[in-house]
Amino acid sequence: MHKYELVLLRLLAKKGVPLRPAEILEVSGINRDSLFWAVENLRSKGYIDVHRSIEKYATITEEGKKYAESKLPELQLLDKLAANGPIEISSMRSSEDQISLKWAKEKGFIAFQNGKMVLTDKGANAQKSGIEEDIVLKELYKNPEKISDFEAKYASSVSQLEKRKLIIIGSKNGISSVEITPKGLRAAEEEQEDEEAINTIDRRIIASRAWEGKKFKPYDISLDVEKQYIAKQNPLREAINRIKEIYLSSGYMEATGPIVLPAFWTFDSLFVPQDHPARDMQDTFYLSNPSSISVDNPRLLKKVKKAQEEAWHIGWSKEIAEQAVLRTQTTSVSIAKLYSAEVLKYNMPIKMFSVGRVFRNENIDPEHLADFYQTDGIVIGRKLTLANLFDSILRIYKPLGVKIRFKPSYFPFVEPGVEVQVYYEPKKKWLELGGAGIIRKEITDIVSSEIKVLAWGLGVERILLAKDPGIKGIYELYNNGIGWLRNKKAVIL
Amino acid sequence: MTFEKAYLFSLTKFKLSDARLIDQITKMGFDVEDNNASEISVDITPNRPDLLDIYGFARALRYFMHRSKRFDYKVESKVPALSLSVGQNVKAIRPFISSFVAEGKGISENELKYLVNFSEKLGSIYGRNRKRLAMGLHDFSKIKPPVSYDAFSDLTFIPLNESREMRFSDVLKENEKGISYSHTIRNSEGKTFYPALVDAEGVMSFIPIINSNRTKLSTGAKSIFVDITGTSQYIIEKAADLFASVFIDLGYVISPVEVKYKSKTVMYPQMSSTTITIPASRIEENIGVRIGPNNIVSLANKMGYKAAIVGSNIRFVTPPYRLDIFNEQDVIEDIAIGYGYDYIQPEPIPSVQQGSLEDVTRLTGMLSKLMLGLGFSEMMNSYLTSEETNFDKMLLKHDSDYVKIKFSKEKQLNMLRNWILPQLIYNASLSQHEKLPQKTFELDMVFSLAGGKTLEEYHLAGLIVDAKANFNEIKGIVEALLSTVGLQYSIKEDKMGSFIAGRQAGIYVGNKKVGFFGEIHPQVLSNFGLEEPATAFEINISQAFQQ
Repeated sequence: MHKYELVLLRLLAKKGVPLRPAEILEVSGINRDSLFWAVENLRSKGYIDVHRSIEKYATITEEGKKYAESKLPELQLLDKLAANGPIEISSMRSSEDQISLKWAKEKGFIAFQNGKMVLTDKGANAQKSGIEEDIVLKELYKNPEKISDFEAKYASSVSQLEKRKLIIIGSKNGISSVEITPKGLRAAEEEQEDEEAINTIDRRIIASRAWEGKKFKPYDISLDVEKQYIAKQNPLREAINRIKEIYLSSGYMEATGPIVLPAFWTFDSLFVPQDHPARDMQDTFYLSNPSSISVDNPRLLKKVKKAQEEAWHIGWSKEIAEQAVLRTQTTSVSIAKLYSAEVLKYNMPIKMFSVGRVFRNENIDPEHLADFYQTDGIVIGRKLTLANLFDSILRIYKPLGVKIRFKPSYFPFVEPGVEVQVYYEPKKKWLELGGAGIIRKEITDIVSSEIKVLAWGLGVERILLAKDPGIKGIYELYNNGIGWLRNKKAVIL
Repeated sequence: MTFEKAYLFSLTKFKLSDARLIDQITKMGFDVEDNNASEISVDITPNRPDLLDIYGFARALRYFMHRSKRFDYKVESKVPALSLSVGQNVKAIRPFISSFVAEGKGISENELKYLVNFSEKLGSIYGRNRKRLAMGLHDFSKIKPPVSYDAFSDLTFIPLNESREMRFSDVLKENEKGISYSHTIRNSEGKTFYPALVDAEGVMSFIPIINSNRTKLSTGAKSIFVDITGTSQYIIEKAADLFASVFIDLGYVISPVEVKYKSKTVMYPQMSSTTITIPASRIEENIGVRIGPNNIVSLANKMGYKAAIVGSNIRFVTPPYRLDIFNEQDVIEDIAIGYGYDYIQPEPIPSVQQGSLEDVTRLTGMLSKLMLGLGFSEMMNSYLTSEETNFDKMLLKHDSDYVKIKFSKEKQLNMLRNWILPQLIYNASLSQHEKLPQKTFELDMVFSLAGGKTLEEYHLAGLIVDAKANFNEIKGIVEALLSTVGLQYSIKEDKMGSFIAGRQAGIYVGNKKVGFFGEIHPQVLSNFGLEEPATAFEINISQAFQQ
């Protein structure tokens, strides 16, 4: 048993009557906080009964404290008058002076003569022997819990102090007395005092080995503690990194390419006719600065123009191809690499991937964003098949543990065209993940008629959606809610 | 496209359960968007204008389930039902026209509804809002030859479903169709033309805006006149083939129309097919499965082709209504679809290539880890932002070297960001109720212009929102980061409006400023509605780490 508990218990056992806290404080030498702690502990053990009542208490105001530590201002004035003789009234200017003047006058301690103030007999007496009001204030400052006693004995002084706002009297539900129980009486005889326990362990205790032979004060392990938060990577970044890791382990080279580019790289080079609806301002972001970007490859431009005009039976304009846009697909990165002369220097098959943002001119809502991530893969080789394409895509997505299927579809730059779908468990339906296919010969022939190119461009966010039940919609990823991120469960992708 | 299932099955002559129907449509390569008791909605991909009507769709479904034996779409009659002359004035705006007459037992209500709907769809989707293609249907018995197509002066006629005579110019101003399509007959200089089909009694059609009420096609009409006009000869020819095929499927007999240009005369519809011969082995090599010549022929039939084995090759004849078969790769795709993507066994590619990451991926990966180690959480914002956020709220003047969007559906997204910090502050302003300190970072791309060229660079920005956030703390973080990566840098005074004067500094590598840090100006915080002190840094990674 703790020392304070034992002191209290033995005191109650010895006195044999209920004791008020004030009495205990007086005789036990325990401070106020420790006493109430001990009372609560003993009560919970059933060693004492606690009687409660509405208890008055005094709070000494800041002004009150100042006077309690010195003396009331009117008494300070009397001291000055006794020491220095009459004082000019006109010199009493400060607010402090005004207060002392007011009270000294009201209490008849001073009188005015020819613009000066002088001590009265009553004042001289008060100056010598002090006044009740001042003594009560000083006592209350020491023992504010004794307010009830003081009120009984010195009613007018207490009410005067309250009126002067030097003290505030309040009441609370407090302990009126504590009384020992039969169980407590036994305990008072049987219990031994605890050895001193260590609370906070510090450098001094460790270095001096002061902890030896002592107990450590235990914590209440059930208490709520302050929340700690982990600095986290964005879940979308984790998905991107995971995808890069899978490509890397499957032998793919990473490629990057520009986001601001001429329409040529996102449309014309991909066999998209110049009057295709996807090229509309309503769907694609066109730029006013820069408004156009030149394609400095006359040979390539000539070949693309020819392929476009033959297939679509409409004119083809270099100006339209050079309009500056934000890329609508990462396939533009792959195609630019394909057209770059260096690509044929590698041994076939060449496997490349890219992950990056693509842009669509959308009205933004929880399901539609203006920019989002796409991952693009291409394989360049001499003999490649649709079956190879399926295998390549499955190898990228199998490690993620998502269910993938292929269905025929149409994209202008591939033939055959494939839509890749992912199974979204929460809604029990297949979602489009992106497009894939074998790049049209009209495009690959420009590089070499010997090669075939498998390509796919798939959404990154949807993979995350299918994989992570903690993410309710794509919008959550871009809200960047710090609270959301702090509380987000970690998921192994 | 939304199809009434009962009518669809009356055309296919077989019924399918919902599950089976959806499965077949998916296998054909289309997405079912909606399905209820009476209707099914299918997303038709833009390469297949022949499926933009219930008849074409029913035909494809019949083939796909091996229920159709018809592979010839021909015009038996060589005698033109009409001769149509083309004038010189229309050359500048809409030079080409094809036409034919379909004769039957009287058009039914459903047929009229679906055929008109088809012509509208074809004009809006494949015809790019009637600009490159539009078509009209008329009651042939109400037409009085001779018929000519040309651009005319501002003539008057009674437009379809109107009760009064109107001038062409009035139609463009007052009629709903006229308002919608007036742009199709204006040239690039803004001059408006009035292309029209005219017979002995006057205007038959104000092209491609609206027909006349006089030649209106109604239920029961036995012979139907079809006109197709546009800007590409190839497209109007194929559209005639496509439309005539639908009438043939419905049991109509097609009579050709002779179109007389100044220098040549052409008969429509041509019902042209392309013959494509492909070695059977090449088909298998492209798809990656063993199919066999006989099976290829059967799969070709399933996709609507006439096909035959010729030695080791397969000869395919495309149906005249297909507009998307350019060459052998398109045929091979159809064979793969016929075979079924589900049955193609994935096959690995032998490869010894080693994977590799771009340098920037490895650099940003390292920096992100350091930021996480410093206790910063990662934000990912849009690259798109507004001038208000990027400049105004940050107390910066607009410079001209940023990438500007010409038109954005979201008005506040009108540029590509040239720094990251404004968005981080915005993120923090939305999370003020969260416990402090809040430390966030973003490492991603920003965009600027230099000498007319776009620079796409990586920035790293960090933000601390905390009651005790101060210059010394952020300086410590910047120094920890830069010294850890071993960058030789110096710190000099800086004067950015976004930060408090005297509590900010620039980061220099050599003589080049690559970043800055400091205490964010209280006015900036107020502009974002943030009520706690904040410090931040931003470093141009691409420049700081340039070798």
